[in-house]
Amino acid sequence: MLRVAVVGCGKAGENHVREICTLPGARVVALCDIEPLMAEQLSDRYSIARHYGVFETMLAEERPDVVHVATPPQSHVALSRLALDRGSHVVIEKPLTLEYASAESLVQHALHRQRKLTIGHGYHFDPICLSMRRMIADGQLGEPVHVESFMGYAMDGQFGTPVFADSGHWVHGLPGKLVHNIIDHLLNKVMEFVQGDHPTIVAHAMQRLQRDNPAFAMPDEVRIMLSDARVSAYATFSAHARPVGHHLTVYGTRNTMRLDFVAGTLTLQSTSSVPGAVGRVVATLDQSWQHLRAGGANVARIARGDFQYMTGLRTLFERFYDCVRDGTPPPIPYGEILRLSAITDQVFAQFGAERRHSA
Amino acid sequence: MTTLLTGATGYLGAAVLERSLEYGGRNIRCLVRPGASRAHLLALQSRHGRGAIEIMEGTLTRRRDVERALVGVQLVMHLAASLRGAAADIFLNTVVGSQNLYDAIAHSAVHRLVTTSSLSVYDLCDVPTAALVKESTALDPHPERRDAYTHSKIRQEQLLGALVMRPGVACIVLRPGPLYGRGGTPLPSRIGLRFPGFLLQLGGGAPLPLSYIDNCAEAVRLAAFDTRVPPGAYNVVDDAMPTASEYLARYRREVRPLRVVRLPFAGTELLAQLNESSHRASRGQIPLLLTPYRARNMWRGHRYDTTRLIVAGWRPPVPTDEALDLAFGVWRDGQRGGSSAPAMVSR
Repeated sequence: MLRVAVVGCGKAGENHVREICTLPGARVVALCDIEPLMAEQLSDRYSIARHYGVFETMLAEERPDVVHVATPPQSHVALSRLALDRGSHVVIEKPLTLEYASAESLVQHALHRQRKLTIGHGYHFDPICLSMRRMIADGQLGEPVHVESFMGYAMDGQFGTPVFADSGHWVHGLPGKLVHNIIDHLLNKVMEFVQGDHPTIVAHAMQRLQRDNPAFAMPDEVRIMLSDARVSAYATFSAHARPVGHHLTVYGTRNTMRLDFVAGTLTLQSTSSVPGAVGRVVATLDQSWQHLRAGGANVARIARGDFQYMTGLRTLFERFYDCVRDGTPPPIPYGEILRLSAITDQVFAQFGAERRHSA
Repeated sequence: MTTLLTGATGYLGAAVLERSLEYGGRNIRCLVRPGASRAHLLALQSRHGRGAIEIMEGTLTRRRDVERALVGVQLVMHLAASLRGAAADIFLNTVVGSQNLYDAIAHSAVHRLVTTSSLSVYDLCDVPTAALVKESTALDPHPERRDAYTHSKIRQEQLLGALVMRPGVACIVLRPGPLYGRGGTPLPSRIGLRFPGFLLQLGGGAPLPLSYIDNCAEAVRLAAFDTRVPPGAYNVVDDAMPTASEYLARYRREVRPLRVVRLPFAGTELLAQLNESSHRASRGQIPLLLTPYRARNMWRGHRYDTTRLIVAGWRPPVPTDEALDLAFGVWRDGQRGGSSAPAMVSR
């Protein structure tokens, strides 16, 4: 049984605790937060035996096998290095660090300490993503041609409200502000298809909602285009499009796949083999049939207790714990983590240049 | 004397500020979060002058903001709380913020603190419904088994204990029921749970323990500015309230039609058991709206004693009949005008 500790007892920390508690091979032994009351409330609600206000004390007394770092990103490097130094493996919430250089240094430190590290890219392990990879391996997509990743955001939702209530919220301290906290989920889905360390990047940011308080000025609409020699990708972040969607479309040389992370569905769009008007009707019926099947499959998942929004995060933890136990490579290759970090830097550099140009 | 008011942009805070100013209150410093709308405060400031209201930007979750806000302050009206959102945010804003405030007060010149809690903080599982719930009733020892808001309110009261023990600071805790009136929605969870197309009415036929917004604001003003009000806790509930059934009948008659499914307490408890077990079996996929523990505390039909506050001098400025007429009038007009009323504050 792996002994797991979580540092950071806000919303992200609670998501981690909830999922770890469902895994048979791990046990949350302690929680820590710089505000001891926050650690206390989470430990009371999830019946966790011990909680701390000082991270070093927790590491010294609990000696956890794995530490989950679910604090604001500004503290990821310091806390993760300390955990690695004390012999723990680390799971770090996204974004890993504030910029590429510290991400690379952190990965090197994990290698040096011979400990393992992963990042909280839960959607990467969502059941529909796992299905997509199986179908691609079966040849159902053909060669990928173009990818579109879309993430909506509710500024008045559970995550947005605290950000826009307080100009001192940690999100305002990120180089890319609000988008910086989301961009991993937006880009990691397309980076799977766009190869190489130096894809062409064109990034554009807008602030659609002008706010009275300049402290809250930040991009709320972002468009990013990436391409390598064979595949192009388009990533959209929108705080205004409704409904708040979260989906991925992968266009292939044979078929097109559409993944809806809100509905939990994956459908395949094929060229109709029936000509003319009938063919168009058949295509519609085929899509309806696929949605019906996906809905039915999700009903079965509900019955099995397996249709939570964070199912992918649970799978990621499970695989990471397996790699800790078995000594196998971590579920997300370090090269991919760093490639995403480097591209994120380039995107924000373009936003900065764009801002300076318009000023 | 300088007074610090937290939560001035909230439902109750705005009413307390207006009432305090009407009674000649001056030097009221409002600590306002950077993202909060301050249009109402600015309007009051232009009406009553800058000497009446000082707007200070800051948040209770940052200690330096709290220390800055307390400079020169002798009286604190602490009404800030989070009512909705993620459990972590509710706890951070309500409990951590209060802890910061109480810590700072202990090292300040403040000699009086008035704060608001909730009627739902009591441990009523084993209290017979025939008994009046007095302020001496124990707080729930398992706040983590309640909803996030109640959890935070119970913990906030527990934290106040350390400050109460400190000589020189008179601490008063007001425990109002759900607030109603202009700007409030008419159907709090004390009555039942809203579902698409119908309302599930829970619990028995006891009078609803609601507080009219102006009556509660008067209780806060009195507790803050009348030093004859002794320290301690006070229930704040309007007298002669109708039962939930009577209230709902009036709502359906005067505001709008509403399908109501009435569930007696035995049914409520059974439903709560089903909800809790299905939530667990589905590994959280079915939302947890009711638990037997929460049902026993909230919907058995307890009555709350307000004698202590009345003896201390509270005279509700709006009699219950008139308060209900005013509230239903506003809600009815809101329906006709097609505008939706802001949320009632469930306490």
